[in-house]
Amino acid sequence: MHQPPLVKINQVEKSFGTGPRVLAGIDLTVERGEFVSFIGPSGCGKSTLLRLIAGLTPATGGDLVIAGMTPANARELMFFVFQDANLLPWRRVAENVELPLLLRGDATAPRAERVARALDLVGLAAAAQKFPWQLSGGMRMRVSIARALSVAPDILLLDEPFGALDEMTRDKLNEDLLAIRARDPFTAFFVTHSVTEAVFLSTRIVVLSANPGRVAETIDVPFPYPRPAELRETPEFLQLLGRTARALRAVRNN
Amino acid sequence: MKARLLSWLLPALTGVGLVGLWFLVRRVSGLPAYVLPTPDEIAQAAWEERSVLLSAVLVTARGAILGFLASVGVGFVLALALGFSPRIKASFYPYILVMQMMPITILAPIFCLWLGQGLPSIVAITFMIGFFPVVANTTMGFVSVDRNLKELFLMCKATRAQELRYLRIPGAMPFFLTGVKIAGTLAPIGAIVGDFLAGSAQGGVGGIGYTTIAYFGQLKTPALFATGFTACLLGFVFVGSVNWLHWRLLHQWHDSFIAKD
Repeated sequence: MHQPPLVKINQVEKSFGTGPRVLAGIDLTVERGEFVSFIGPSGCGKSTLLRLIAGLTPATGGDLVIAGMTPANARELMFFVFQDANLLPWRRVAENVELPLLLRGDATAPRAERVARALDLVGLAAAAQKFPWQLSGGMRMRVSIARALSVAPDILLLDEPFGALDEMTRDKLNEDLLAIRARDPFTAFFVTHSVTEAVFLSTRIVVLSANPGRVAETIDVPFPYPRPAELRETPEFLQLLGRTARALRAVRNN
Repeated sequence: MKARLLSWLLPALTGVGLVGLWFLVRRVSGLPAYVLPTPDEIAQAAWEERSVLLSAVLVTARGAILGFLASVGVGFVLALALGFSPRIKASFYPYILVMQMMPITILAPIFCLWLGQGLPSIVAITFMIGFFPVVANTTMGFVSVDRNLKELFLMCKATRAQELRYLRIPGAMPFFLTGVKIAGTLAPIGAIVGDFLAGSAQGGVGGIGYTTIAYFGQLKTPALFATGFTACLLGFVFVGSVNWLHWRLLHQWHDSFIAKD
């Protein structure tokens, strides 16, 4: 039996106030278990598209259906990882991870259990009692991911989460993200500027063009999971990297 | 270690220099003690008047503490209301400003008419001086919550009460405490001014303001100076306590403290 798609985006448009359209005619159908990356030039609306899915801003045309619901109603299934770690500076690491559980009214004991597991997943069990300022940028991002994982979301929305990190840290976190996903499966929407990151992580890359943002090309990434770090050096990977970079260049030159 | 030594040695040397200069001015000018008393005369007056000064400082401290607590409490609640909606803020903020602009020397007799001379008027005056910095700063804190954090709470389907408790109040804490610090600095001054304008010696004891008037009337200048230094002491205790509270609540996470490490 065929399951309905998890996310269905149909002719979605977005403009802010009376401004020009940021996104136009976006069509996208995503099945459970996919890892979809949005890539495109600055101002192509890729972050806006992610925020539409999250229900953080309403679409001005077309419709988005998430598991049969409107985005705002489907929030329980989703979690958002923001561009900067977006932690509460006055809460310790464990308390930050606990926050979504606290807000949805989980009891104390299961809360502690989930926090411990989430911190373990991101390898930060030892930093549980630290404050955010005591951590490096990469560690803060891990906390942010642990916070998202604590609620075990069906859909994880990540808005350039590793954009501010150096390449080495980013590669490591990419590998960790896939390892976490192998243990704790979620459907992912991932906004990035990095072609390597998009190819390494995704099952599908959506290349957006700007003014207004449209889907210019969709590239399937056939590599099976788990994906070892060495995948990045294989000719197949490099070939796909080249193809994605070309698609991005074509969009930019238009 | 050297820096630490210097940090108390330098002000101590300056102090010795100032006291020496003070004696010198008195000797060279030939001014009488009731115009310019020397430090030893002031110390002697302080000792002779110790019971009067002690009860005066306690009376003033009571007014200052009550007025300070009122300004912090009312200021916080008022800021909550103002931060709750821009419409409430637009409606009421101008009138809070009007209250702030009203000179305290004019308000004091009005309070006296309403509340009589003594503690209630002094508390009211202290409150009037301290509550504006609390309101202004805390409101600022409530309205300047990080947008991304607000969206995080939105994603978590947080209720308004949860957002207030877990985001807005802790986020506004540094602003609130800045207001509290200013109110704490002003409270002893407010209580002394209040006592000066609306104080009474009911029950035989007046505050620092009242005592000042009494000493002035008797031309007891050394005691007047001693009163001034006593008020200084009260101010330091107040500021010290408020600074400690500020440190206690923020030192673990706020930039203003961790940047020093």
